[in-house]
Amino acid sequence: MDVSNILASHAAKFQSIAVEKDTPLDVDTGLLTVTDLNPVDEDSYKDNLEEYLQSTARDGIQTLIASLYALPTRASPDGPLAQLPPPTTHLPRAKPLPKPKPPTKWERFAAAKGIQKKVREKKVWDEERQEWVNRWGRDGKNKEKEEQWITEVKANADVDYDPVKAARDERKSRVAKNERQRLQNQARAQTALTDREERKKEIERTLATSRVSTASMGKFDKKLEGEKKMRGVKRKFEPTEVPIEKEKETSLAILSKIDGDARRSRKEKGGDDVLNVRKAIRTASRGRGGVALGRDSGRGGARGKRGGKR
Amino acid sequence: MRPLTEEESKAVFTKLANYIGKNLIHLIDRKDEPYCFRLQKDRVYYVSESSMRLSISVARPNLVSLGTCFGKFSKSGKFKLHITALEYIAQYAKYKIWIKPNGEMPFLYGNHVVKAHLGRITEDTPEHQGVIVFSMNDVPLGFGVTARSTVDTRKLDPTAIIVFHQADVGEYLRDEETLF
Repeated sequence: MDVSNILASHAAKFQSIAVEKDTPLDVDTGLLTVTDLNPVDEDSYKDNLEEYLQSTARDGIQTLIASLYALPTRASPDGPLAQLPPPTTHLPRAKPLPKPKPPTKWERFAAAKGIQKKVREKKVWDEERQEWVNRWGRDGKNKEKEEQWITEVKANADVDYDPVKAARDERKSRVAKNERQRLQNQARAQTALTDREERKKEIERTLATSRVSTASMGKFDKKLEGEKKMRGVKRKFEPTEVPIEKEKETSLAILSKIDGDARRSRKEKGGDDVLNVRKAIRTASRGRGGVALGRDSGRGGARGKRGGKR
Repeated sequence: MRPLTEEESKAVFTKLANYIGKNLIHLIDRKDEPYCFRLQKDRVYYVSESSMRLSISVARPNLVSLGTCFGKFSKSGKFKLHITALEYIAQYAKYKIWIKPNGEMPFLYGNHVVKAHLGRITEDTPEHQGVIVFSMNDVPLGFGVTARSTVDTRKLDPTAIIVFHQADVGEYLRDEETLF
Protein backbone atom coordinates (compact mmCIF):
# COMPACT_ATOMS: atom_id res chain seq x y z
CA MET A 1 0.00 0.00 0.00
CA ASP A 2 1.38 3.37 -0.93
CA VAL A 3 0.84 5.96 1.74
CA SER A 4 3.02 8.59 0.16
CA ASN A 5 0.15 10.59 -1.32
CA ILE A 6 -1.76 10.40 1.99
CA LEU A 7 1.32 11.74 3.73
CA ALA A 8 1.73 14.40 1.07
CA SER A 9 -1.88 15.53 1.42
CA HIS A 10 -1.48 15.55 5.20
CA ALA A 11 1.69 17.57 4.95
CA ALA A 12 0.01 20.04 2.61
CA LYS A 13 -2.52 20.82 5.33
CA PHE A 14 0.26 22.05 7.60
CA GLN A 15 2.89 24.55 6.75
CA SER A 16 6.52 23.63 7.04
CA ILE A 17 8.13 24.07 10.41
CA ALA A 18 11.26 25.38 8.76
CA VAL A 19 10.94 29.09 8.03
CA GLU A 20 12.82 30.32 4.98
CA LYS A 21 13.51 34.06 4.81
CA ASP A 22 15.95 36.20 2.83
CA THR A 23 17.33 37.65 6.03
CA PRO A 24 17.16 35.09 8.86
CA LEU A 25 14.90 36.13 11.73
CA ASP A 26 16.57 37.59 14.79
CA VAL A 27 15.50 35.51 17.80
CA ASP A 28 16.16 36.52 21.39
CA THR A 29 14.90 33.53 23.37
CA GLY A 30 15.74 35.14 26.71
CA LEU A 31 13.16 37.89 26.11
CA LEU A 32 10.89 35.58 24.01
CA THR A 33 11.25 38.06 21.16
CA VAL A 34 11.57 37.62 17.42
CA THR A 35 12.49 40.49 15.14
CA ASP A 36 11.75 40.29 11.42
CA LEU A 37 14.29 42.41 9.60
CA ASN A 38 13.02 41.57 6.09
CA PRO A 39 11.59 44.40 4.03
CA VAL A 40 7.80 44.37 3.65
CA ASP A 41 6.58 42.69 0.49
CA GLU A 42 4.55 45.51 -0.96
CA ASP A 43 2.36 43.46 -3.32
CA SER A 44 1.05 40.98 -0.81
CA TYR A 45 0.81 43.74 1.81
CA LYS A 46 -1.52 45.75 -0.41
CA ASP A 47 -3.32 42.71 -1.74
CA ASN A 48 -4.47 41.23 1.54
CA LEU A 49 -3.20 42.96 4.62
CA GLU A 50 -4.73 40.61 7.19
CA GLU A 51 -3.34 37.50 5.60
CA TYR A 52 0.09 39.02 5.13
CA LEU A 53 0.31 40.09 8.78
CA GLN A 54 -0.85 36.69 9.95
CA SER A 55 1.68 34.83 7.85
CA THR A 56 4.50 37.08 9.04
CA ALA A 57 3.41 36.57 12.64
CA ARG A 58 3.11 32.85 12.15
CA ASP A 59 6.65 32.65 10.79
CA GLY A 60 7.95 34.52 13.75
CA ILE A 61 6.12 32.41 16.29
CA GLN A 62 7.19 29.24 14.49
CA THR A 63 10.84 30.24 14.74
CA LEU A 64 10.44 31.21 18.41
CA ILE A 65 8.73 27.90 19.30
CA ALA A 66 11.39 25.98 17.40
CA SER A 67 14.10 27.76 19.34
CA LEU A 68 12.28 27.02 22.61
CA TYR A 69 12.27 23.29 21.80
CA ALA A 70 16.00 23.41 21.19
CA LEU A 71 16.58 24.63 24.76
CA PRO A 72 17.64 22.26 27.56
CA THR A 73 14.66 21.21 29.70
CA ARG A 74 14.15 20.36 33.32
CA ALA A 75 11.47 18.00 34.59
CA SER A 76 8.88 19.44 36.96
CA PRO A 77 5.50 18.27 38.38
CA ASP A 78 3.77 20.49 35.76
CA GLY A 79 5.71 18.96 32.89
CA PRO A 80 9.08 19.83 31.36
CA LEU A 81 10.31 23.42 31.75
CA ALA A 82 12.64 25.03 29.23
CA GLN A 83 15.43 27.09 30.73
CA LEU A 84 15.70 30.45 29.04
CA PRO A 85 19.16 31.76 28.26
CA PRO A 86 20.03 35.31 29.34
CA PRO A 87 18.64 37.93 26.92
CA THR A 88 20.94 39.21 24.20
CA THR A 89 19.05 42.37 23.17
CA HIS A 90 20.13 45.46 25.05
CA LEU A 91 17.16 47.53 26.15
CA PRO A 92 17.52 51.25 26.89
CA ARG A 93 17.04 52.09 30.58
CA ALA A 94 13.62 53.40 31.56
CA LYS A 95 14.84 55.95 34.11
CA PRO A 96 17.49 58.64 33.62
CA LEU A 97 20.93 57.96 35.02
CA PRO A 98 21.16 58.68 38.72
CA LYS A 99 22.72 62.04 39.52
CA PRO A 100 26.11 61.87 41.19
CA LYS A 101 25.85 62.29 44.95
CA PRO A 102 27.06 65.61 46.29
CA PRO A 103 30.45 65.06 47.91
CA THR A 104 30.67 64.85 51.67
CA LYS A 105 32.76 67.34 53.61
CA TRP A 106 35.60 64.86 53.88
CA GLU A 107 35.46 64.01 50.18
CA ARG A 108 35.73 67.68 49.32
CA PHE A 109 38.65 68.12 51.67
CA ALA A 110 40.34 65.01 50.32
CA ALA A 111 39.92 66.23 46.75
CA ALA A 112 41.43 69.61 47.64
CA LYS A 113 44.38 67.99 49.39
CA GLY A 114 44.79 65.26 46.79
CA ILE A 115 44.22 62.44 49.26
CA GLN A 116 43.57 59.12 47.58
CA LYS A 117 40.83 56.90 48.91
CA LYS A 118 42.20 53.77 50.49
CA VAL A 119 39.97 50.78 51.03
CA ARG A 120 40.61 49.27 54.42
CA GLU A 121 40.18 45.56 54.78
CA LYS A 122 37.30 44.56 56.98
CA LYS A 123 39.40 41.86 58.67
CA VAL A 124 42.58 42.38 60.63
CA TRP A 125 45.08 39.82 61.85
CA ASP A 126 44.92 39.06 65.56
CA GLU A 127 48.37 38.04 66.81
CA GLU A 128 47.11 36.49 70.01
CA ARG A 129 44.36 34.40 68.57
CA GLN A 130 46.30 33.72 65.35
CA GLU A 131 43.30 34.35 63.12
CA TRP A 132 41.59 37.04 61.09
CA VAL A 133 39.03 39.01 63.12
CA ASN A 134 36.62 41.77 62.23
CA ARG A 135 37.95 45.30 62.48
CA TRP A 136 34.57 46.29 63.93
CA GLY A 137 31.21 44.63 64.50
CA ARG A 138 30.79 41.22 66.11
CA ASP A 139 33.88 40.32 68.13
CA GLY A 140 35.53 43.36 66.57
CA LYS A 141 39.09 44.36 67.18
CA ASN A 142 37.87 47.83 68.29
CA LYS A 143 36.29 46.26 71.37
CA GLU A 144 39.56 44.64 72.41
CA LYS A 145 40.19 47.06 75.30
CA GLU A 146 36.73 46.54 76.74
CA GLU A 147 36.90 42.79 76.67
CA GLN A 148 40.41 42.08 77.92
CA TRP A 149 40.39 40.53 81.37
CA ILE A 150 43.00 42.81 82.90
CA THR A 151 43.62 46.49 82.28
CA GLU A 152 46.48 48.71 83.28
CA VAL A 153 45.35 51.72 85.33
CA LYS A 154 47.46 54.78 86.01
CA ALA A 155 48.63 55.27 89.57
CA ASN A 156 46.90 58.64 89.90
CA ALA A 157 43.54 57.40 88.55
CA ASP A 158 40.32 58.03 90.48
CA VAL A 159 39.05 55.39 92.90
CA ASP A 160 35.90 54.85 90.87
CA TYR A 161 37.70 54.91 87.52
CA ASP A 162 36.33 52.14 85.36
CA PRO A 163 38.69 51.46 82.43
CA VAL A 164 36.15 49.25 80.65
CA LYS A 165 33.50 51.95 80.83
CA ALA A 166 35.98 54.63 79.75
CA ALA A 167 36.99 52.62 76.69
CA ARG A 168 33.38 51.88 75.83
CA ASP A 169 32.36 55.51 76.23
CA GLU A 170 35.16 56.59 73.96
CA ARG A 171 34.16 54.10 71.30
CA LYS A 172 30.49 55.07 71.59
CA SER A 173 31.35 58.75 71.31
CA ARG A 174 33.25 58.03 68.10
CA VAL A 175 30.19 56.24 66.72
CA ALA A 176 28.00 59.16 67.75
CA LYS A 177 30.35 61.65 66.13
CA ASN A 178 30.29 59.71 62.90
CA GLU A 179 26.51 59.57 62.94
CA ARG A 180 26.34 63.30 63.58
CA GLN A 181 28.65 63.97 60.67
CA ARG A 182 26.64 61.69 58.46
CA LEU A 183 23.45 63.61 59.28
CA GLN A 184 25.22 66.91 58.64
CA ASN A 185 26.41 65.65 55.27
CA GLN A 186 22.89 64.54 54.47
CA ALA A 187 21.47 67.93 55.41
CA ARG A 188 24.13 69.68 53.36
CA ALA A 189 23.38 67.45 50.36
CA GLN A 190 19.69 68.27 50.52
CA THR A 191 20.17 72.01 50.48
CA ALA A 192 22.99 71.98 47.96
CA LEU A 193 22.01 73.63 44.68
CA THR A 194 23.85 73.44 41.43
CA ASP A 195 25.51 76.63 40.21
CA ARG A 196 22.84 77.11 37.59
CA GLU A 197 19.97 76.78 40.06
CA GLU A 198 21.68 79.13 42.45
CA ARG A 199 22.20 81.70 39.72
CA LYS A 200 18.55 81.40 38.69
CA LYS A 201 17.35 81.93 42.20
CA GLU A 202 19.59 84.94 42.61
CA ILE A 203 18.34 86.50 39.39
CA GLU A 204 14.74 85.95 40.43
CA ARG A 205 15.39 87.52 43.78
CA THR A 206 17.08 90.54 42.23
CA LEU A 207 14.24 90.93 39.74
CA ALA A 208 11.63 90.79 42.49
CA THR A 209 13.51 93.41 44.49
CA SER A 210 13.94 95.74 41.56
CA ARG A 211 10.29 95.49 40.62
CA VAL A 212 9.13 96.92 43.94
CA SER A 213 11.96 99.43 44.18
CA THR A 214 10.16 102.32 42.53
CA ALA A 215 8.39 105.28 44.11
CA SER A 216 5.03 103.53 43.74
CA MET A 217 6.41 100.19 44.94
CA GLY A 218 5.98 98.84 41.42
CA LYS A 219 2.31 99.69 41.21
CA PHE A 220 2.36 102.08 38.24
CA ASP A 221 5.21 100.51 36.32
CA LYS A 222 4.84 99.64 32.69
CA LYS A 223 3.98 95.98 32.43
CA LEU A 224 6.15 93.99 30.06
CA GLU A 225 4.63 91.34 27.91
CA GLY A 226 4.72 87.91 29.47
CA GLU A 227 5.69 89.34 32.81
CA LYS A 228 4.57 87.09 35.59
CA LYS A 229 2.54 88.32 38.51
CA MET A 230 4.59 88.58 41.63
CA ARG A 231 3.66 86.13 44.28
CA GLY A 232 4.15 86.71 47.94
CA VAL A 233 4.66 84.12 50.59
CA LYS A 234 1.51 82.14 51.14
CA ARG A 235 0.31 81.88 54.69
CA LYS A 236 0.15 78.37 56.00
CA PHE A 237 -1.83 77.28 59.01
CA GLU A 238 -2.01 74.12 60.99
CA PRO A 239 -5.00 71.95 60.12
CA THR A 240 -7.99 72.49 62.39
CA GLU A 241 -8.12 68.85 63.27
CA VAL A 242 -4.72 67.99 64.66
CA PRO A 243 -4.69 65.43 67.46
CA ILE A 244 -5.46 67.38 70.61
CA GLU A 245 -2.50 65.83 72.42
CA LYS A 246 -0.12 67.23 69.85
CA GLU A 247 -1.72 70.64 70.06
CA LYS A 248 -1.39 70.58 73.81
CA GLU A 249 2.28 69.75 73.48
CA THR A 250 2.94 72.66 71.14
CA SER A 251 1.04 75.00 73.46
CA LEU A 252 3.07 73.85 76.44
CA ALA A 253 6.27 74.26 74.45
CA ILE A 254 5.33 77.85 73.59
CA LEU A 255 4.42 78.44 77.22
CA SER A 256 7.75 77.15 78.48
CA LYS A 257 9.51 79.33 75.92
CA ILE A 258 7.65 82.40 77.17
CA ASP A 259 8.41 81.35 80.72
CA GLY A 260 12.11 81.04 79.90
CA ASP A 261 12.17 84.51 78.33
CA ALA A 262 10.39 86.00 81.31
CA ARG A 263 12.76 84.34 83.75
CA ARG A 264 15.77 85.62 81.84
CA SER A 265 14.48 89.18 81.88
CA ARG A 266 13.60 88.84 85.56
CA LYS A 267 17.11 87.60 86.30
CA GLU A 268 18.47 90.75 84.70
CA LYS A 269 16.23 92.81 86.93
CA GLY A 270 17.12 90.64 89.91
CA GLY A 271 13.67 89.62 91.13
CA ASP A 272 11.52 86.52 91.23
CA ASP A 273 7.77 86.40 91.46
CA VAL A 274 7.58 83.05 93.22
CA LEU A 275 9.38 84.34 96.27
CA ASN A 276 9.35 87.92 97.44
CA VAL A 277 13.04 88.08 98.21
CA ARG A 278 12.89 91.46 99.92
CA LYS A 279 10.16 90.34 102.26
CA ALA A 280 11.75 86.97 102.93
CA ILE A 281 15.00 88.61 103.95
CA ARG A 282 13.17 91.04 106.18
CA THR A 283 11.34 88.21 107.94
CA ALA A 284 14.33 85.94 108.26
CA SER A 285 16.62 88.64 109.61
CA ARG A 286 13.87 90.04 111.84
CA GLY A 287 14.03 93.37 110.10
CA ARG A 288 17.79 93.88 110.27
CA GLY A 289 18.51 93.27 106.58
CA GLY A 290 20.50 90.83 104.46
CA VAL A 291 23.95 91.80 105.71
CA ALA A 292 23.09 90.95 109.29
CA LEU A 293 21.57 87.66 108.18
CA GLY A 294 24.75 86.71 106.31
CA ARG A 295 26.86 87.57 109.37
CA ASP A 296 24.67 85.43 111.62
CA SER A 297 24.71 82.35 109.43
CA GLY A 298 28.49 82.72 108.96
CA ARG A 299 29.09 82.62 112.71
CA GLY A 300 27.18 79.39 113.21
CA GLY A 301 24.02 78.18 114.92
CA ALA A 302 24.74 78.66 118.64
CA ARG A 303 25.97 82.20 118.37
CA GLY A 304 23.19 83.08 115.98
CA LYS A 305 20.71 81.95 118.62
CA ARG A 306 22.28 84.13 121.21
CA GLY A 307 22.20 87.00 118.77
CA GLY A 308 18.48 86.38 118.40
CA LYS A 309 17.88 86.87 122.10
CA ARG A 310 19.50 90.25 122.10
CA MET B 1 -11.89 78.62 62.38
CA ARG B 2 -8.28 77.61 62.71
CA PRO B 3 -5.70 76.95 65.43
CA LEU B 4 -3.49 79.83 66.47
CA THR B 5 -0.10 80.30 64.89
CA GLU B 6 2.93 80.44 67.10
CA GLU B 7 3.03 84.25 67.28
CA GLU B 8 -0.68 84.41 68.01
CA SER B 9 -0.38 81.80 70.75
CA LYS B 10 2.50 83.76 72.20
CA ALA B 11 0.43 86.96 72.25
CA VAL B 12 -2.54 85.22 73.88
CA PHE B 13 -0.47 83.34 76.43
CA THR B 14 1.59 86.35 77.51
CA LYS B 15 -1.58 88.35 77.99
CA LEU B 16 -3.22 85.57 80.02
CA ALA B 17 -0.04 84.95 81.99
CA ASN B 18 -0.18 88.58 83.07
CA TYR B 19 -3.26 87.69 85.11
CA ILE B 20 -2.93 84.04 86.04
CA GLY B 21 0.83 83.42 85.74
CA LYS B 22 1.83 79.78 85.70
CA ASN B 23 -1.76 78.65 86.30
CA LEU B 24 -2.11 79.01 82.55
CA ILE B 25 -0.97 75.39 82.35
CA HIS B 26 -4.24 74.38 84.01
CA LEU B 27 -6.15 75.94 81.13
CA ILE B 28 -4.14 74.09 78.50
CA ASP B 29 -3.65 70.80 80.29
CA ARG B 30 -7.04 70.16 81.78
CA LYS B 31 -7.85 67.03 83.72
CA ASP B 32 -11.57 66.82 82.88
CA GLU B 33 -11.74 67.36 79.14
CA PRO B 34 -9.25 68.48 76.48
CA TYR B 35 -9.66 72.16 75.61
CA CYS B 36 -8.04 74.18 72.87
CA PHE B 37 -7.79 77.71 71.49
CA ARG B 38 -9.31 78.49 68.12
CA LEU B 39 -9.33 81.64 66.02
CA GLN B 40 -12.41 82.66 64.10
CA LYS B 41 -12.70 86.09 62.50
CA ASP B 42 -10.02 87.70 64.71
CA ARG B 43 -11.60 86.31 67.85
CA VAL B 44 -9.93 83.73 70.03
CA TYR B 45 -12.20 81.08 71.48
CA TYR B 46 -11.43 78.67 74.27
CA VAL B 47 -13.37 75.60 73.39
CA SER B 48 -13.59 71.95 74.37
CA GLU B 49 -12.34 69.47 71.83
CA SER B 50 -15.73 67.87 71.33
CA SER B 51 -17.54 71.10 70.46
CA MET B 52 -14.57 72.18 68.34
CA ARG B 53 -14.97 69.02 66.31
CA LEU B 54 -18.69 69.63 65.97
CA SER B 55 -18.17 73.20 64.78
CA ILE B 56 -15.76 72.09 62.05
CA SER B 57 -18.81 71.20 60.00
CA VAL B 58 -20.10 74.79 60.12
CA ALA B 59 -18.86 76.98 57.28
CA ARG B 60 -16.69 79.93 58.26
CA PRO B 61 -19.13 82.71 57.33
CA ASN B 62 -21.94 80.94 59.17
CA LEU B 63 -20.04 80.28 62.36
CA VAL B 64 -20.96 83.04 64.79
CA SER B 65 -19.37 81.83 67.98
CA LEU B 66 -18.13 78.73 69.76
CA GLY B 67 -16.94 77.92 73.24
CA THR B 68 -15.91 80.91 75.32
CA CYS B 69 -14.61 84.02 73.59
CA PHE B 70 -11.35 84.98 75.29
CA GLY B 71 -10.66 88.13 73.33
CA LYS B 72 -9.78 89.49 69.94
CA PHE B 73 -6.80 90.41 67.88
CA SER B 74 -6.62 94.03 66.88
CA LYS B 75 -5.67 94.95 63.33
CA SER B 76 -2.13 95.63 64.47
CA GLY B 77 -1.87 92.11 65.88
CA LYS B 78 -2.24 92.91 69.57
CA PHE B 79 -4.45 90.71 71.67
CA LYS B 80 -7.22 92.28 73.76
CA LEU B 81 -8.80 90.24 76.52
CA HIS B 82 -12.60 90.37 76.75
CA ILE B 83 -14.71 90.28 79.89
CA THR B 84 -16.06 86.89 78.77
CA ALA B 85 -12.72 85.37 79.80
CA LEU B 86 -13.31 86.49 83.38
CA GLU B 87 -14.80 83.19 84.43
CA TYR B 88 -11.54 81.37 83.70
CA ILE B 89 -9.02 83.97 84.76
CA ALA B 90 -10.87 84.75 88.01
CA GLN B 91 -10.55 81.19 89.28
CA TYR B 92 -6.81 81.06 88.59
CA ALA B 93 -6.01 84.69 89.42
CA LYS B 94 -2.69 85.38 91.04
CA TYR B 95 -3.27 88.93 92.20
CA LYS B 96 -6.70 90.15 93.31
CA ILE B 97 -8.21 93.29 94.69
CA TRP B 98 -11.52 93.57 96.47
CA ILE B 99 -13.50 96.80 96.22
CA LYS B 100 -15.97 98.22 98.69
CA PRO B 101 -19.71 98.13 97.88
CA ASN B 102 -19.73 101.88 97.21
CA GLY B 103 -16.99 101.40 94.59
CA GLU B 104 -18.74 98.62 92.68
CA MET B 105 -21.07 100.86 90.71
CA PRO B 106 -18.42 103.30 89.43
CA PHE B 107 -16.24 100.36 88.37
CA LEU B 108 -19.11 98.61 86.58
CA TYR B 109 -19.74 101.80 84.61
CA GLY B 110 -16.22 101.59 83.24
CA ASN B 111 -14.28 103.83 85.61
CA HIS B 112 -10.91 103.20 87.17
CA VAL B 113 -10.66 102.03 90.77
CA VAL B 114 -9.66 104.82 93.15
CA LYS B 115 -8.00 104.30 96.49
CA ALA B 116 -11.10 105.30 98.42
CA HIS B 117 -12.95 102.26 97.05
CA LEU B 118 -10.19 99.81 97.77
CA GLY B 119 -11.24 97.11 100.20
CA ARG B 120 -8.40 94.61 100.18
CA ILE B 121 -5.51 93.86 97.89
CA THR B 122 -3.14 90.92 97.51
CA GLU B 123 0.06 91.67 99.31
CA ASP B 124 3.17 92.35 97.21
CA THR B 125 1.29 93.15 94.02
CA PRO B 126 3.82 94.84 91.76
CA GLU B 127 3.21 97.86 89.58
CA HIS B 128 1.51 97.40 86.18
CA GLN B 129 0.39 93.89 87.09
CA GLY B 130 -2.84 92.42 85.78
CA VAL B 131 -5.29 91.99 88.64
CA ILE B 132 -8.81 90.67 88.97
CA VAL B 133 -11.32 92.96 90.67
CA PHE B 134 -13.71 91.31 93.12
CA SER B 135 -16.57 92.70 95.17
CA MET B 136 -16.27 92.29 98.92
CA ASN B 137 -18.32 89.09 98.82
CA ASP B 138 -15.93 87.49 96.30
CA VAL B 139 -17.89 88.02 93.10
CA PRO B 140 -15.53 88.73 90.20
CA LEU B 141 -16.41 92.08 88.63
CA GLY B 142 -13.70 92.57 86.05
CA PHE B 143 -10.01 93.06 85.64
CA GLY B 144 -7.46 95.78 85.23
CA VAL B 145 -3.85 96.78 85.71
CA THR B 146 -2.39 98.15 88.90
CA ALA B 147 -1.18 101.72 88.78
CA ARG B 148 1.05 101.36 91.83
CA SER B 149 2.53 98.51 93.80
CA THR B 150 0.89 97.55 97.09
CA VAL B 151 3.63 99.22 99.08
CA ASP B 152 3.26 102.50 97.21
CA THR B 153 -0.53 102.65 97.59
CA ARG B 154 -0.25 103.38 101.29
CA LYS B 155 1.08 106.88 100.68
CA LEU B 156 -1.53 107.82 98.07
CA ASP B 157 -4.47 110.17 98.62
CA PRO B 158 -8.00 108.69 98.45
CA THR B 159 -8.77 109.98 94.94
CA ALA B 160 -5.68 108.50 93.32
CA ILE B 161 -6.23 105.73 90.81
CA ILE B 162 -5.06 102.34 91.97
CA VAL B 163 -6.26 100.03 89.23
CA PHE B 164 -6.70 101.03 85.61
CA HIS B 165 -9.95 99.65 84.28
CA GLN B 166 -9.66 97.15 81.44
CA ALA B 167 -12.92 95.22 81.44
CA ASP B 168 -15.89 94.83 83.74
CA VAL B 169 -19.06 92.78 83.75
CA GLY B 170 -21.05 95.89 82.78
CA GLU B 171 -19.77 95.31 79.26
CA TYR B 172 -22.18 92.42 78.96
CA LEU B 173 -24.84 95.14 78.63
CA ARG B 174 -22.84 97.97 77.08
CA ASP B 175 -21.04 96.01 74.36
CA GLU B 176 -23.51 93.22 73.92
CA GLU B 177 -23.41 93.16 70.13
CA THR B 178 -19.63 93.14 69.72
CA LEU B 179 -18.55 91.17 72.74
CA PHE B 180 -18.83 87.56 71.73
